[in-house]
Amino acid sequence: MQSRTMPTRTSCRATEHDLHRRTFLRSAVAGTTAALTFGGLAVGRESPQAARLRAKQKQVLFIWLAGGASQFEMWDPKPGRPTGGPFRAIPTSVCGTHFGELMPKTAKIADRLAVVRSLNTQITAHAIAADLISTGRPKEAALEYPEIGVVLAKQLARRDAELPDYVSIFLSSEGHRRPAVGFLGGRHAPLHLRDSLRPSYIDPPAGLDTQRHTEREHLRQLVSSQFARGRAGAEMVDGYNAAFSRVRGLMRSDHLFDLDREPSAMRERYGDTQFGRNCLLARRMLEAGVPMVKVARGFWDSHHDNFESHRELVTDFDHVFTTLIRDLEDRGLLDSTLVVVFSEFGRTPKINKDVGRDHYAAAWSCALAGCGIRGGVVHGKTDADGVSVADGEVDAADFAATVYSAVGIDPEEHYYVGPRPVPLAREDSHPIKTVLS
Amino acid sequence: MTAKLAPEKFEHAATAEYEGILYALAFDESAHTAYAAGDDRALYAVDVGAAEPKLTKVAAHHDNYVSAIALRGEVVISAGYDGRILWTRAAGGEQLRDVAAHDGWIRDLTLLADDSQLASVGHDLCVRLWDAETGALLRVFEGHAATTPQGYVSAIYALAASPDGRYLASGDRVGEVRVWEIETGKLAATLASPAFYTYDASKRVRSIGGIRSLCFSPDGKQLAIAGIGQVTNVDGFVGPCRIELWDWAAGKRTFTGQDSHKAVLNHIAFDAGGEWLIAAGGGDSGGLLAFWDPSQEKPQHKAKPKGHIQRFHLDQSAGALYLAGHGGLQVWRTPPS
Repeated sequence: MQSRTMPTRTSCRATEHDLHRRTFLRSAVAGTTAALTFGGLAVGRESPQAARLRAKQKQVLFIWLAGGASQFEMWDPKPGRPTGGPFRAIPTSVCGTHFGELMPKTAKIADRLAVVRSLNTQITAHAIAADLISTGRPKEAALEYPEIGVVLAKQLARRDAELPDYVSIFLSSEGHRRPAVGFLGGRHAPLHLRDSLRPSYIDPPAGLDTQRHTEREHLRQLVSSQFARGRAGAEMVDGYNAAFSRVRGLMRSDHLFDLDREPSAMRERYGDTQFGRNCLLARRMLEAGVPMVKVARGFWDSHHDNFESHRELVTDFDHVFTTLIRDLEDRGLLDSTLVVVFSEFGRTPKINKDVGRDHYAAAWSCALAGCGIRGGVVHGKTDADGVSVADGEVDAADFAATVYSAVGIDPEEHYYVGPRPVPLAREDSHPIKTVLS
Repeated sequence: MTAKLAPEKFEHAATAEYEGILYALAFDESAHTAYAAGDDRALYAVDVGAAEPKLTKVAAHHDNYVSAIALRGEVVISAGYDGRILWTRAAGGEQLRDVAAHDGWIRDLTLLADDSQLASVGHDLCVRLWDAETGALLRVFEGHAATTPQGYVSAIYALAASPDGRYLASGDRVGEVRVWEIETGKLAATLASPAFYTYDASKRVRSIGGIRSLCFSPDGKQLAIAGIGQVTNVDGFVGPCRIELWDWAAGKRTFTGQDSHKAVLNHIAFDAGGEWLIAAGGGDSGGLLAFWDPSQEKPQHKAKPKGHIQRFHLDQSAGALYLAGHGGLQVWRTPPS
């Protein structure tokens, strides 16, 4: 019998999702008793698809360019056109494909990338547009959808993992977003790093040494097992045990958040910028087995002085992104890790009076690499001035379906929220086959 | 005799309209002709005395935005984001010389006092000195930091030559001015004006600002700097317009002018008598033309030109100001007394 779930809030106070051990425990336990089903199975239990994915150890990294990066200055240059701005287009490692001149390093790895130049998502308000592309569907009053990353984390989660299924790194405040768990519930809330690269609240209480901490844990296990023995509710105790295990795992994994443990040459390779440090941490998380990682790089909302701001931001992106891709490749992780670069929208073709570009969602770009992606591909095209999509138009639902498909998740699979079937990607979506390997 | 400047009397008279943004401007006083260029890469002439002035295309030799021009006799010397300096005959538009001058965008260009030499600055963080006749490179001045304190790319935006032709001043993104002795190539002074650079480390993790214009006083002793003060939202020019005046040889700031009008000041100049500082730009509060008596923090007079202004020329003898920027070239005049 399927049971129902209570609606879950997606808007939160600033501190609500910080990883407090008690909060984590409550969420985790709630998750094990969640009232959702997936493909006829309770989501708290293993689905055959999830088991297959876990076996293949697929992972996903989202690079979120918060505020809206300009497609003209990055993936879809229009040199010489009135809308093109002053940056040139440069050839890439893929014959006939050009990127903006601020990405000379990315141009050299174009053969590993698939670029989509034909997104039309229509919405130009930051928060609503971010919700749309992050979930793959418009908001509904009756149902709060989880973000794609949360679904991926759930589907790709490893049984008995010590680390969180999802680590989200968003250290700047403008446009700040916590990945919305929607109807999947708090059990699937990511470890969200917003103030520093080290999680809050993972130190034992002051005065509690390791030995005493371990003794307490042994006592807790003993009491738990005695309570569960012969009683109904053992599943809840299992949930508690799993949650405690995760917290202990996180505490034991504290070293993963310490970038000083990286060789200095590697730190230098990523560069001494915040985005560089964030991406280095992301790589450490992926290498340690975290299935879903998101790095946000804000804030690209260049209403004035667009070319100067993109010169700063894209140059940083170009260096860090290519370093990350090569690093993943060197470690044998790129084939199993899907990397997605996207924003909530792009920027206007028209250059405004203050040498800025405003919000634009009618024709913009994103890029993908790694797991499930055919490298060296450009899907879709815009017209000569980048005003509208000329070929291969895709929307937020298609984007979601593509991401799911790339890691082997069938976008037509569905959850049940009560009696209502909810497909992972909207019913009318189509994966962008051109970019899938 | 040059008329005394009466800032409050300037009024918009006409606009030679342009589809995009004009970044470059020079004026031939003898011919009453302004030369302007911008994001469509072409060079235009404007008869500023016409009742309805229009942009007339002279040439289109650059491959990218034209950022600065200077007039040397009958030759227009232009610099662009294509990294080139071009010599073009004003009459007819014939290209006379093409020099690959900088690696990256050229942001400013100026003729030295006797017009025999020319200097340019750009994104490659150096000042280059040229023979204005032959285009030969004479000297390179280097020293501006390539990156900001936060590790991002920097640039030199502004350049000025002293009236006696002995010094060049260059201003960069992080608010540093370097004054160079032209004859020796030595650094004569370094001025730090960090208020012109805003780095937002917490909200948006990026920067805005920089020294956008420089000019020496008529006696060469002072150096005026223009840009924008500390910005509250680096998505835009959302900060107070700001100028500073320095006794550059002493390394001492002597005046700070700042106003609540939120704008970046892209160009600054003294009037002929050295009594007024005129600055123009635009931003969150709209376009701005401001006149400062450098004894008071606030500008004594502000006007709001249509659009964001990139360059201007004060034709003081004619009581006229020509403003180039978004939407075209505006003619502002003082009514005849």
